[in-house]
Amino acid sequence: MNAAGGLDLASIPARIETEVQRAIQRSIKGVEYIASSGPSLGSTPKDILSVRGTMNLYHYRPIADEVYRVPILIVMATTNRGYILDLVPGQSFVEFLLKRGYDVYMLDWTAPKPEEKRLAMEDYVLDFLPHCIREVQRDCGETDVSVVGYCFGGVLSLLYGSIFSDGPMKNLVLFTTPIDFRKMKLFQNFSDRRYFDVDRLVDSVGNVPPEMILSSFEMLRPASRAASQVQLWENIWNDEFVKSYRMFDRWATDTLPLAGEYFRTITKDLMWDNKLYNDTMSVGGRPADISKIKVPILHAVAEHDHIVPYDAAKPLIQKIGSSDKEEVMLKGGHVSLVAGANAIKRLWPKLDSWLCERSI
Amino acid sequence: MADNSSDPVAIWQNMIGEMEKGFNSFATQAMASPEFSKVANQVGGVSAGAQKQLGDLMEKYLVGMNLPSRAQMVGMAERLQSIETQLNEIKVLLHELQGDSGAQESSAGAAPRPPRTKRPPSAGGDQR
Repeated sequence: MNAAGGLDLASIPARIETEVQRAIQRSIKGVEYIASSGPSLGSTPKDILSVRGTMNLYHYRPIADEVYRVPILIVMATTNRGYILDLVPGQSFVEFLLKRGYDVYMLDWTAPKPEEKRLAMEDYVLDFLPHCIREVQRDCGETDVSVVGYCFGGVLSLLYGSIFSDGPMKNLVLFTTPIDFRKMKLFQNFSDRRYFDVDRLVDSVGNVPPEMILSSFEMLRPASRAASQVQLWENIWNDEFVKSYRMFDRWATDTLPLAGEYFRTITKDLMWDNKLYNDTMSVGGRPADISKIKVPILHAVAEHDHIVPYDAAKPLIQKIGSSDKEEVMLKGGHVSLVAGANAIKRLWPKLDSWLCERSI
Repeated sequence: MADNSSDPVAIWQNMIGEMEKGFNSFATQAMASPEFSKVANQVGGVSAGAQKQLGDLMEKYLVGMNLPSRAQMVGMAERLQSIETQLNEIKVLLHELQGDSGAQESSAGAAPRPPRTKRPPSAGGDQR
């Protein structure tokens, strides 16, 4: 029987019972939530191939009977930890790649120490990345390497690829990688050169503190943290929701500091002068022109990315020199593009179907 | 799709979602103004500088109290990390040695690397 407003009166007792049960579960699970630690993340078996301060190179142990000839080197963004791509079994991008027969390496970052404040863009692009490529080549015995860069890891991969355009990069896959920094409107405003004194900041603090990086991300959607906590409370009876919430929340708040000199270059060359887009970027005196990149490239962008808006990522495919190039826009946001249920059904299979033919 | 227009829980959830969107949109517009940038950077610059000065002062105070300073703790953490790194290197070397000597006793040695012969499904490979 329906009341005038469309309310099904017969369903009310059942609904009340469900809500009472959930309220009880919320109280019990709420205590459990506070008392317990989250799921163990980044646990796919791996070996450390090289550690140099903030730089860590891992090799994940293959699980397929045979692997594709060309290995993959994942380049993580310098602001966050790589375990977003290796959450838990069944929700791990790395595990997915291993099962599909790829040989997977990851360039991941730890917090730069105070004495690493002088690490500059040159160190990342002309030293760390080439060093990791050489280590991958030495470890697997292959010359060709496919590079997969996420967010600012994509920018580093682009810079590397444009400077070392003669190889050995075989394929380039980028996830949500900005190139036109003028279109990152809020970041532009936060770092407005009229008011933001990057020299003063770097000279006074050394490495840029993680709290500052985290707040600049959170300020892009200031109400979302509070809203997500309300959602958590509503769904705390649901173990799967809570597990997922804890994984993503832990990762999102586990922000890394940025080396001071490196941050100075990002602000001045990319945010202020937009040099990558204007084809005037150079690293350590070596021109980094992305039109020099000729290898096959796939760029995956997210429809609702609030960190790297589509306008900031769009010109990449137009400007790159490759003839074999593809941009794919998928549903999701900056993080849900690469991890979680959305990524499992959209990005991961797309990447596999694109890369497998180019990995032999 | 079920009609949730009269479900109080759905109404509440919808309201939270709309409030989040509305506030985010409002804040985004407000933060896009040059005035916001000016004020935020003034406050942020002062706060970062003050935090640094406070940190330096605190370090001196801890040294005076004969307590380990942050720099000393960081130094210890670095030494630990360096020991861990060396342990990992030793572990890798041991794996390699075990791999060399255990070629004939493969079950005990490091797992052999799979052959790099996989083909894509369309080229006759399987998809596991």
